[in-house]
Amino acid sequence: MAGLASCPQLRALTVQTGAAVSPGFRFTDVTGSAGIHFQHNSGAFGGKFLPETLGSGCAFLDYDRDGWQDILLINGADWPGHKKNRSTLRLYHNNGNGTFTDVTVRAGLDVEMYGMGVAVGDYNNDGFPDILITCVGQNRLFRNTGKGTFVDVTSVSGLGKREGFSTSALWFDYDRDGLLDLFVCNYVKWSPEHDVFCSLDGKHKSYCTPEAYRGATCWLFHNRGDGTFEDVTAASGIFDSSSKSLGVALFSDNHDGWPDLLVANDTQPNKLYRNQHNGTFKDTAVEAGLAFSSEGKARAGMGVDVGDFDNSGTPGVAITNFDNEMIGLYRLSGKSFEDIAPQSGVGIASRNSLGFGCSFLDVNLDGWLDFAVANGHIDETVRNIRGNVGYAQPPQLFLNRGKGSFREVAAEVDGGFDLPKVGRGLAYADFDRDGDLDLLLTTNNGPAYLYRNDQLSGNRSIRFRLVGTKSSRDGIGALVRVFAGGLTQSRLVKGGSSYLSQSELPVTFGLEKQDRIERVVIDWPSGRTEEYKNLAAGRCYECTEGKGIVPQNGY
Amino acid sequence: MPTLYARGVSRPSPPDRSPTLGLLLGLLITLSAVVAYSAYITWQVTGLRKLQTELVDRNRKDSLQLLRIQNDLNLLAVAMRDMVSSDEPYPLTAWSAQFQRIRTDLDDAMRLEAGFAAASRTPEQSTFLTGNFNQFWDAVDRVFALAHDGKDKEAREQIQLSLQERQAALSTAVARLLVQNSENEEQAGQRIVQIYDRVQRQVYVFLAATLLAILLNGLSGIRWNRRLFARLAEVSERRSELAQKLIATQESTLRYISRELHDEFGQILTAVGSMLRRAGTHAPEGSSLRVDLQEVLVTVQTTLESVRSLSQALHPVMLDEAGLESTMDWYIPTIERQTGIAISYEKQGVAFPVDGGAGVHVYRVLQEALNNVARHSGAKAAWVRLRFLPYALELEVEDHGVGLAERPSNHGIGLVAMRERSELMGGQIIFSRPPEGGTRVHLAVPREKAESYGKEDHSVAGG
Repeated sequence: MAGLASCPQLRALTVQTGAAVSPGFRFTDVTGSAGIHFQHNSGAFGGKFLPETLGSGCAFLDYDRDGWQDILLINGADWPGHKKNRSTLRLYHNNGNGTFTDVTVRAGLDVEMYGMGVAVGDYNNDGFPDILITCVGQNRLFRNTGKGTFVDVTSVSGLGKREGFSTSALWFDYDRDGLLDLFVCNYVKWSPEHDVFCSLDGKHKSYCTPEAYRGATCWLFHNRGDGTFEDVTAASGIFDSSSKSLGVALFSDNHDGWPDLLVANDTQPNKLYRNQHNGTFKDTAVEAGLAFSSEGKARAGMGVDVGDFDNSGTPGVAITNFDNEMIGLYRLSGKSFEDIAPQSGVGIASRNSLGFGCSFLDVNLDGWLDFAVANGHIDETVRNIRGNVGYAQPPQLFLNRGKGSFREVAAEVDGGFDLPKVGRGLAYADFDRDGDLDLLLTTNNGPAYLYRNDQLSGNRSIRFRLVGTKSSRDGIGALVRVFAGGLTQSRLVKGGSSYLSQSELPVTFGLEKQDRIERVVIDWPSGRTEEYKNLAAGRCYECTEGKGIVPQNGY
Repeated sequence: MPTLYARGVSRPSPPDRSPTLGLLLGLLITLSAVVAYSAYITWQVTGLRKLQTELVDRNRKDSLQLLRIQNDLNLLAVAMRDMVSSDEPYPLTAWSAQFQRIRTDLDDAMRLEAGFAAASRTPEQSTFLTGNFNQFWDAVDRVFALAHDGKDKEAREQIQLSLQERQAALSTAVARLLVQNSENEEQAGQRIVQIYDRVQRQVYVFLAATLLAILLNGLSGIRWNRRLFARLAEVSERRSELAQKLIATQESTLRYISRELHDEFGQILTAVGSMLRRAGTHAPEGSSLRVDLQEVLVTVQTTLESVRSLSQALHPVMLDEAGLESTMDWYIPTIERQTGIAISYEKQGVAFPVDGGAGVHVYRVLQEALNNVARHSGAKAAWVRLRFLPYALELEVEDHGVGLAERPSNHGIGLVAMRERSELMGGQIIFSRPPEGGTRVHLAVPREKAESYGKEDHSVAGG
C-alpha cells in the first residue's frame, strides 16, 4: 500500500472508493491546541549510535487520580561528550478541558537520562501509579508520592547498579501475590564505549543492525512488597543471553489464571514465556508457532500487542516487523498460532513499512478490535536504496471487518493522521472522556502527536476501571468479558504492549448503538470472579474487587 | 457389342488392392511409436522425479536441518562465550534453561536430519556425530553440575578446556556434512542435466520419426485417393457410356420396328385391304361371301390402324418429319385421351428448330414423365410447359399428386434414363416438389445443343 500510496492518482482513487464506506469516526490533531509541545532528542550527533534509531515511548496514566488520563512522553538525551541541549521526559497534566499543562518540573521528573520506554504500575498498591523508565544505562523507578510528585527510588528499590540497553517493560503479577512484579526487555549489549563501526560504503559510519552486537537477557524483578525488588531472572528461567528484545505483552490465552509473557525479539526468535505456576517460566514460542514467520525465519520483531480481535475469547497476537517482512498477525488455530496477516489484509499493506508501536483498540466502537500501527524506518537514507520505502512513513489504522479481515483507513480519518512520520511509540486512552479512544504517537527525533477521536456514527461504549484489593491495586491481569448484542468481547487489564509505551489501564468496549450490556464478568488475578448484569452503556464503571461496582458520571 | 468398349477402356482393370490395410498399418506404426515414446518419456521423467525427490529434495531438507544444527551450535558457542566472559551478574546455572532450549531444538533437528541423511551417510559418520553430541551433552551436564554446586570457577574452566573445543569439533563435522551435501547436490545436478540432454535429443529424434511416419502415411493416402478418384471417374464414364449405348440401341430398335410396322405391315395390310375390296366386288351382291369379305376388310382396316398406332407409339415418325413441337401437339391430346388426365399445355418463347436427336430425348423425357404421372402420382391433372428461351430449351412436367419422395422406393429405370438423356444433351434435369405437392420435372437443354445435337458425332442418337 505504501508503494501504491506514492502514486497520487491511485491514492486519490483509494480515497474515493473508500469514502463510500465511512470509517464512522474522525481524528483531529490536537497536539498544539492541547498544549503539548514536545520534541524528542535522539542525541544524534553523527556518531551513528545504535539507540538513536529506536526513538522513545509514551504513556497514558492518571498520576493524580483525578479521573483524567495524563500524558508521559519519554525522551533521549545528548551523548556524553556531545552535550548541547538539555532534554528530559515530559509529564503533561490533563486539565479536563482538552488542554494539558507541563508539570514535569513540579512533579520532580525533570531528570536527564537517555530514556527509552515506560511502564506504569502501582507497585506499592497505594493507589497512585508509579513509573519505571527504561534507559540506555541505568533504568529509573519513580515512586508516586500521591501529592503530584515523584521520587526516584531506583537505588533503594534494588534496581540500581544495572546498566543495560533496556527497551519495553511491563508490570505484572507473575506469582499472583497481589504485588506487581517488573519485567524489562533488553536489546543488545551496547554502550557508547563498546560501539562498533558499521558502514555501507566502507568509509562512512552507518547505523549497525542488531546482528553486530551480542544479545542481552530480559530481566524479571520480583516485588518483595517492602518497596524492594529481587532479580529472579535466572531463577525464573527467563534468562536468555541470545535475546534482542524490543517489545513485551502480557499474554493469557490458556485461561489458567497465570499470566504469561510474549516478547518480540529483533532478528531472534520471539519468546513466549509460559508461567509454570511455581515462579518459573518456560519458553514455548516455537511450539506455539509465534517464534518465527511461517517460513521459519526469525523476523525483526519490534512492537507487540495481544487482543481478542476475533471475539473468540482467545487473544490473537500482532507483532510489527521490518519492512519486507510484513506484520505478523497471529490467531489460534488448533493448538498453535497461525499467521493470518497475508489473507487478513494487514500483511500486504505492511510489506513496505517498518512497524514499531502497535495496539489493538476498538477505534470505531463497533465491538471489534481494530489495529493501529506507528511506522517509520531506522535509516534516513533508505529511500536511496529502496525507492518505495521512505524514512518517514504513514501510520496505519486497520478497521476490523470481522472474520479475520481488516481494511486500512488511515487516509480516511483526517487530522493528518496518514502524513508520513518517523513513528515509534503508540498508546491510546480516552483523554477527553467522550467514550472513545484517542491516540498518542511519538516520533524519533521529532514531535509527539495527540489525535482526538470523534465518533460520527453515534456508536457508544462502556468502560471499566478496576481497583484490586486482594489482587494488585491496578487489577493488571484481570480479564473482563462483556456480553452484549450477541457478542462476547474480552479485554485484559494490562500494561506493556505496543513499543516502549503503555496505554491507559481502564478497558473500553464498543457497543455500536446499544444502550445496555447484558452482563460483565471479571476474573480477578486473585482467582475471584465477579459478574454484574444489565449495565447502562455510555459511562465508565469503577469496579473494586469484592466491593462492587460504582457508575461514574459519564465516561 | 464391341462399340461399347471404345475410347481405350476396352477391358475392366483388375480389381484394385484396398489401401485400408496399408493406411491402418501406417497408423498403427505411428501410434505405436507415440505410445512407446510416451512410455519411455514417462519412465525417464519418473526417474528424474525420483532422483530429485530422493536425492535433491532429501539433500536440501538434510542441509536445512544441518544448518539448523549449525545455528544451534553457534547459539551454544555464543552462550558459552557469555558464560566464560562472566559479565552477567548471574550464576552459571542461569544458562541451563537456554541450554535446555537449544538441546531440545538440536535433538529435534538431529532426529529429522538422521531421517533425511539415511541414504548418503556412512555408519561411521553417523556414529561419529551421535557419539560426539553425546559426549558434548555429557560434558555440559558435568559443567552445570559443577555450577549447581557453586563451583562456577571450575565450571568456566571446563567450558574453556573442553566444551568449547567439543563444540568447535561438532561444528566442523556439521560443516563437513554440509560440504558433502553440497557436492552430492552438484553431482545430482549433473546427472539431471545429462538426463535432460538425453531426453531432449530423443525428443528431436522422435519428432523427426513421427513427422516422417505422418508424411509417408499422408503421401500414401494421397496416392490412394488419387487412384480411387481416377477409378471412380472411369467407372462413371463407363456407366454413362453404357447407358448411352443402351438408349441409342433402344431408339434405333424402336425406330426400326416402328418403320417396319409402318412400312412393311402397313403396305401388306393396305394391299390385303385393296385385294379384299377388289374380291368383294367380284362376290355377288348380298351373298354371304361378300358379307364375310366385308368383315375381314374391316378387321384388316382395324389392324392397319393398330399397327400404325403402335408404330407411332414406338417412334413417332412425326418427330423425324414434323419436329418436336408438332409431335408434342399431337402427343399430349393423345395421352390425355388415353389416360384421362387433364393436361394443360403451355408453350412460351419463339420456337427454334430442335434437332431430331435432341427432339427424341426431350420427347422420351416427356413421355416418361407423363407415364409417371399416370402410373404413380394418382393426379387427375398435369401441366406441361415448353419454353424456347434465348439460351435454352426447357421442358417442365408438373403434377400435384403423390410426390417422388412419398412413392415406394423403387423408382425404376425411368428416372435414370431421363437423367442419362439429359446428360447426353449436356442438359440438366431437376426433380423437385412444387409448393402444392407432387412432382415437378424440369429439363433444360442448352440452345446450341438442342439445335445442333444431331450434327455432332453421336453414334448414339443417329442409331
